[in-house]
Amino acid sequence: MSLAHRNLFQDKTRLALSIGGVALAVALILILTGFLAGMNRQITSYLDRSPGSIVVAEEDVVNLLGATSLLPEGMVEKAERIRGVEEVTPILSQFIILELHEKKQPAYMVGYDPELGGGPWQLVAGREPRSKKEMVFDRVLAERHNLTLGDRVEVMGQDFTIVGLSSGTTSWMTSFFFVRKQDAENLLLAPGATSFLLLTTSDGADLDKILKRLNDFSHVNALTKRDMAANDLKLFARIFSAPLKLMVGIAFLVGTMIVGLIIYTATVERQREYGVIKAIGAKNRFLYQVVVTQALFASIAGSLLGILLANGTAQWIMSARPQFLIVFDLMDSGQALLAGLGMALIASIFPTRVVARLAPAEVFRK
Amino acid sequence: MIRLAFSNLFQNKVRLTISIGGVALALLLILSLDAVFTGVERQISAYIEYSGADVWVSQEDVLNMHMASSSLPDSVARKVKNVSGVASVTPILYLTNNVIAGDDRNLAYIIGLPEKAGLGGPWEVSSGRSLPGESQAIIDRNVAEKSGIGLGDTVEILGEEFEVIGLSEGTASLVNSVAFISMDDFKDMRGSYDTISFLLVKVLDSESPEVVAARIQSQVRDVTAQSGNAFAAQERKVVKDMSTDVITIMNLIGFLIGLAVMALTVYTSTLSRRREYGMLKALGARNRDLYGTVLAQAILSVILGFLFGLILTLLLAKLVPILGANLLLEISLISLLKVSGVSLVIGGISAMIPVRQIAGLDPAMVFRGK
Repeated sequence: MSLAHRNLFQDKTRLALSIGGVALAVALILILTGFLAGMNRQITSYLDRSPGSIVVAEEDVVNLLGATSLLPEGMVEKAERIRGVEEVTPILSQFIILELHEKKQPAYMVGYDPELGGGPWQLVAGREPRSKKEMVFDRVLAERHNLTLGDRVEVMGQDFTIVGLSSGTTSWMTSFFFVRKQDAENLLLAPGATSFLLLTTSDGADLDKILKRLNDFSHVNALTKRDMAANDLKLFARIFSAPLKLMVGIAFLVGTMIVGLIIYTATVERQREYGVIKAIGAKNRFLYQVVVTQALFASIAGSLLGILLANGTAQWIMSARPQFLIVFDLMDSGQALLAGLGMALIASIFPTRVVARLAPAEVFRK
Repeated sequence: MIRLAFSNLFQNKVRLTISIGGVALALLLILSLDAVFTGVERQISAYIEYSGADVWVSQEDVLNMHMASSSLPDSVARKVKNVSGVASVTPILYLTNNVIAGDDRNLAYIIGLPEKAGLGGPWEVSSGRSLPGESQAIIDRNVAEKSGIGLGDTVEILGEEFEVIGLSEGTASLVNSVAFISMDDFKDMRGSYDTISFLLVKVLDSESPEVVAARIQSQVRDVTAQSGNAFAAQERKVVKDMSTDVITIMNLIGFLIGLAVMALTVYTSTLSRRREYGMLKALGARNRDLYGTVLAQAILSVILGFLFGLILTLLLAKLVPILGANLLLEISLISLLKVSGVSLVIGGISAMIPVRQIAGLDPAMVFRGK
């Protein structure tokens, strides 16, 4: 142990660089996974906070954010007549690409009736839309574009006035904005159209029974809000998982290379000393332990620093770019530590081979 | 001094491999993320680029197709047809929905095509027919293969069953694929509200798409007319604007990791050559010469790392589609220039790390056997 310790600490600059390198790789892994976790939380924000426990969509539509949904006429009345259904909240929603300061900003428009709900759940300024062409805009998106109450935003060729600012409605992918349902119908040239119904059931109502009754109607698909949120998560995970795994894989390899480089150099430099130790009777196993201990130390120290670095960087990113939500918990940090250990073990392969091949007599010939 | 840098670099092959590998991987982080987004840009605008339309007409101020909705009254088709320079007009209906094949749900642009549509259909059909009739669909071959679907099988779209009569190529992206059905089926299922989504316009050979687009814009009310190129550029801009911040953050992290690897390599190799540098100093070499050697060594390493990183990215670009992901990696010239610049900066900065060591070297120590 003390040999491993001395080998590592003899050159402080080299040690600092190697720990720093591993820390960066681990921080990258944590930030990437935290970014995905944050995005997942943002993706389901509307379903998490909107009223009701059941969503009625068009047949075959199982996502809120993935597909366009258009319900058959008269569905509100049909749903209201089902026993156990207390409230029916119709919304007309659609992705819209806003042009803000010559930048394209995808946003999810929710057309709702302020009397019935389905709009913003936390207003930080202003009020809900009452009359024509008024909107509640996401606070973060508004700040990014220097927009405030009373300002106008063009939506599909029509100017809407911001009368309220909402919180918890932002994400990197898309932010939510809210208009009256009638305005949404006008924008989409679809009078009377409804995308989804959000159903609130009475206490003790049998959800399965209600779902079955709803699904008996033609051209609709009724599912719980929880299932729809899970479907949205699955959809976005499918889109983002491949690039994300690629990046995490590369980060892991980089970390392994860094630890490998430092331990290899330290081992080669100490070749003579290792030879002497071998010559006086030390077994390879002992020397392996010395090498692996160095690798483990560099990796664990790097991983711990990486966790701190990831926390700091995440805070900095979220304050500089509030549309990003980066979340990681103890479990993620534990996995990052495990990744660091994996790096150490793989990185030890080369140096241990050097040690294993070392002929004890060589040291006396030099 | 360059020769010395060369021999320093190549003397220890394992260290060279690890350091070049490390830099290559760090640069790969930057290159591959750029390539992913460039690839998505290309995939996302593929339908527009291959539709055959010279001009796209959409609802006023609807500048995109992806994540957008466009509704035009049926009557607009006639008005656009009457604009001079217009050779033909093909209306399409469009929305994003699922193609359900067995248990698989695949998100897709659902395109409703009129009978004998001249534009807007699949541009490459590997098997089967290229225009759908009643209750027929053409879906992407990759999507079909993944779901175990072939010609004659049935898929569900918008709640109705469709027979697959054609398999198209190049119509799948990381986000979704494209599926074609007839406009009549589309209207039956969705209720048309007497609207269409987009008009695809072919202009006369003697006319320029930009000029005709401007003419349509000025003569037909409540529409936005753009040349096919302009429309595709708008589509790519959605991806670009969304990805700017992510790319900046990833570039910074890739840069820092590359810097750490390179600095570590240059530092350790300088350290292990202390005796030789001391010897050179004793023989009269100036500090400046030794700095030059270290710098040359660092630059050589990053050049090799850059080339290796580029090869890795090209390999990834070949490998990823084989593994079945609808992910296209495309390396752009801008990305190459950016990463080259980043590499040189990494080389330059990392060469400064051992400056203190070299400056503090005592030429006499070599004679003392240190």
